[in-house]
Amino acid sequence: MWELIDVIIRLLLSPPVFAPLIYPGLVTVLIILVSLIWLGRKIAAKVQLRYGPYYIAKRLGGAPQLIADAIRFMFQEVIVPRTADKIPYLLAPALAMTLGLVPVVFIPVAPGFAGIVTSYSLPLALALSSLLPITVILMAWSANNKFTIQGGVREAFMVIAYEIPLFVAALSMGLAYGTLSLEEIVEKQVLVPGAVLNPLAAFVFYVSMLMSAGKLPFDIVEGEQEIVAGPFTEYSGILYGLVMGASYAQLYVLSMIFTEVFLAGWHPFIGSLGALYLPLGGLALFVKAYLVLAFSVFLRSVYGRYRLDYALRIGWERLFPLSVLALFLSLGLRVVGVV
Amino acid sequence: MAIATGLKYLVASKRMTVHYPEYVIELGPRYRGMIRWHKDKCISCSLCARICPASAIKMYRKPGEKKAYPGINYQRCIFCGFCVDICPADALEHTRTHDVAFETLEEHLYVVEEFDKDWVSPALLEGAKKVKVEFDEERGLVHVAGD
Amino acid sequence: MSWRDEKLVVDWRKVAKAPGGEEIYELFIGPQHPASGHMRFIVRLEGDIIVDVEPDIGYVHRTMEKLAEGREYIKNIPLFERATIIDSNNITLGYVRALEKLLDVEPPPRARYLRTILSEINRIQSHLYGIGIAGIMLNHSTVFMWAFGDREIWMQLAEELTGARLTHTYSIPGGVRRDLPDGFEERFEKAARYMLRRLEDYGKIFLYNPMIRSRYEGVGVLKKHEAERLGAVGPNLRASGVRYDARLLGDYGAYSELEFEVPVQEEGDSFARMVQRVEEIKVSIEIIRQALKKMPDGPILAEKYLKLLPPKLRERVLKTGRVKFPAIFANLRPPPGETVARVEMARGEVFYHIVSDGSPKPYRVRIVTPSFRNLVLLRLLPREHRFMDLLAIYGSLDYFPPESDR
Repeated sequence: MWELIDVIIRLLLSPPVFAPLIYPGLVTVLIILVSLIWLGRKIAAKVQLRYGPYYIAKRLGGAPQLIADAIRFMFQEVIVPRTADKIPYLLAPALAMTLGLVPVVFIPVAPGFAGIVTSYSLPLALALSSLLPITVILMAWSANNKFTIQGGVREAFMVIAYEIPLFVAALSMGLAYGTLSLEEIVEKQVLVPGAVLNPLAAFVFYVSMLMSAGKLPFDIVEGEQEIVAGPFTEYSGILYGLVMGASYAQLYVLSMIFTEVFLAGWHPFIGSLGALYLPLGGLALFVKAYLVLAFSVFLRSVYGRYRLDYALRIGWERLFPLSVLALFLSLGLRVVGVV
Repeated sequence: MAIATGLKYLVASKRMTVHYPEYVIELGPRYRGMIRWHKDKCISCSLCARICPASAIKMYRKPGEKKAYPGINYQRCIFCGFCVDICPADALEHTRTHDVAFETLEEHLYVVEEFDKDWVSPALLEGAKKVKVEFDEERGLVHVAGD
Repeated sequence: MSWRDEKLVVDWRKVAKAPGGEEIYELFIGPQHPASGHMRFIVRLEGDIIVDVEPDIGYVHRTMEKLAEGREYIKNIPLFERATIIDSNNITLGYVRALEKLLDVEPPPRARYLRTILSEINRIQSHLYGIGIAGIMLNHSTVFMWAFGDREIWMQLAEELTGARLTHTYSIPGGVRRDLPDGFEERFEKAARYMLRRLEDYGKIFLYNPMIRSRYEGVGVLKKHEAERLGAVGPNLRASGVRYDARLLGDYGAYSELEFEVPVQEEGDSFARMVQRVEEIKVSIEIIRQALKKMPDGPILAEKYLKLLPPKLRERVLKTGRVKFPAIFANLRPPPGETVARVEMARGEVFYHIVSDGSPKPYRVRIVTPSFRNLVLLRLLPREHRFMDLLAIYGSLDYFPPESDR
């Protein structure tokens, strides 16, 4: 009987179950969603000379606000318009959340500790995360509403603009280190983080990350002022909660990749904490990714929204040439023998 | 640089929010708050009813009495203060309360004797603390503890 | 046989034809929209380019001109104040000036200076409101919160002067209702220094932010001859290079005795309009400083009405600074005739025309508000621009629907 429990615990703590379920998987995503949106609101409130969420738990500063919001979403009526295409309308938000979370299985948090250990984790994770815009367009088209179609068209435009610089920047780092596996990329950054080695690629990846997740100044897809809520106009209740969470999930996945490729991943605590229990060594990774996320959310209080054609122009005229330059920089570093 | 300004405001907080209803702003002596009528000073000239732009003050006469006295309907009152400014006997005055809430429509009407009452803010009745507003060059408005 | 089976008597496709071909995409940015104000835009898009914008106004129409015919003259002052409540002294001042011309009474000098001070405070408040709304239309929530938070300072100053934060009802025919409280000058100095410092922060985070500049520069250009032909007023006109300001006409307030420079920008695009508003705030602060320094002593209500009060009340008015209306105010009867008056509000020039026939209620009051005159710009400027420029232009024009609909 006790052997059974021992087997279950060993199963739970093994990489293929622990990673997708607890860290960096579902439980972590839940923690990030609940705390990051609250943090974003508090940061924006502090810059804007006011208090953010406050009354829900005065001593905690309103921290359970997101839990209250989630409970409210559960009880809200889910309205399905009569003219909407019902099956895609109801499926697309769940699909969005799922596709936003699937790349998590490829991201290692400690040497050898990932959901699926493969030596091509970088392009696989990025490729899976680029499937999410299709669900957004599906949402927009199935809701059968002029505003949502406008939002869907904007999403289609933006996807083509940011995916290419994102991939080229990430792959240029792969080129610099000579490997496409996230584990080995982190192992090679013991002395010098990737951002110092190739700052161009870091910048391009970061801006493309913001464009991909739809954070200000690029929240054109859910542009609240002009097209109500873009593709998400008709959603209410739990479906709305899902789509709002999907964009944060995508931001989380991309910022984990950013931290591992450019900010030296789980160093420097891997030796000490890693000896205890391997994922604990990934604590530094979590903290760094959280700081990157906090900065991305902070940008909300500083910027307005770009016009669509201006954002596309940034993608094509600035980011794409910079990413090609980053590629050449990596090539040069490799040839010279720095790396 | 915009990001630098944002970070500066993130670090140094200069909020001027008042946590109502734990704190209540003590209003100045010239504030145009709820109206109070003094029956002993009124001479029943009915100028207040004649000048009220929203027809909130009307004159009421009890059957058998000679003089008519004013009553006010707070649903209509816009707190412009014309009645206070025109009363030749100083029977009307502004109190320094503004945040009274009514629960039924009938509570809005205050006729003759009921009009002669002083108003206290319900937040103060429940134990709020008073703060006073002061101007400050760094933060705009600061709220210091009142009396 | 239900209504679905009947044949169409009228072919709606022929009736409701509008300019454009098959690719025209019609969007109703209706009143129930996060950023449309109290009005509707019927936008016709071809791809992303706007072909035609039709503003659909009238959602806040309160029939003020008709209501004014049923009330006595003094009761119309709070009525017209609610047309533009954020700018209240300026819009009532036009009515009061026209009434004073009919009644043939002149306010004393101190009252004129006090009116000027409150007018300028209202102008600053209204421009901050305009900057905030322009910011939120670009989803820049920081400048929105900052602008509305900084309005608190000016509302506090106005409250100390008049007794109410927003609905001042300060000017009456013959003068004003309250005098300056003690210590007003020091508090104003602190507020002015704070505001000037904050305007620099506004510049850094909003106006000269390269991202916001890219959305405003070159968008919605209003050329000088176009502005004059279309009849634009206010900062929109002055940002296109025309130096016209009703304050310079000099027949109300104390502007003829104060020295100030009306700012003018040359380019006429949205960026120039935003910069124009910021410059006007600075000029307003200067005007208030001068007015506070040069303030003459004296009564705050005209002699013609003060002598109607009994002597004890008259002395109290002169001493405490709270005016008492003479009983004639409830029953003002101007002689038959008609007058006009023009006042420069924050958004432009407001025009009043009062026709009286000797009774206590006016025969006709006509008010032309500045937003109503700027409405034609909303129709013509966004053409040939992209869809997202519509809101940028709307924010920069500072169009206020309740004022336009009265």
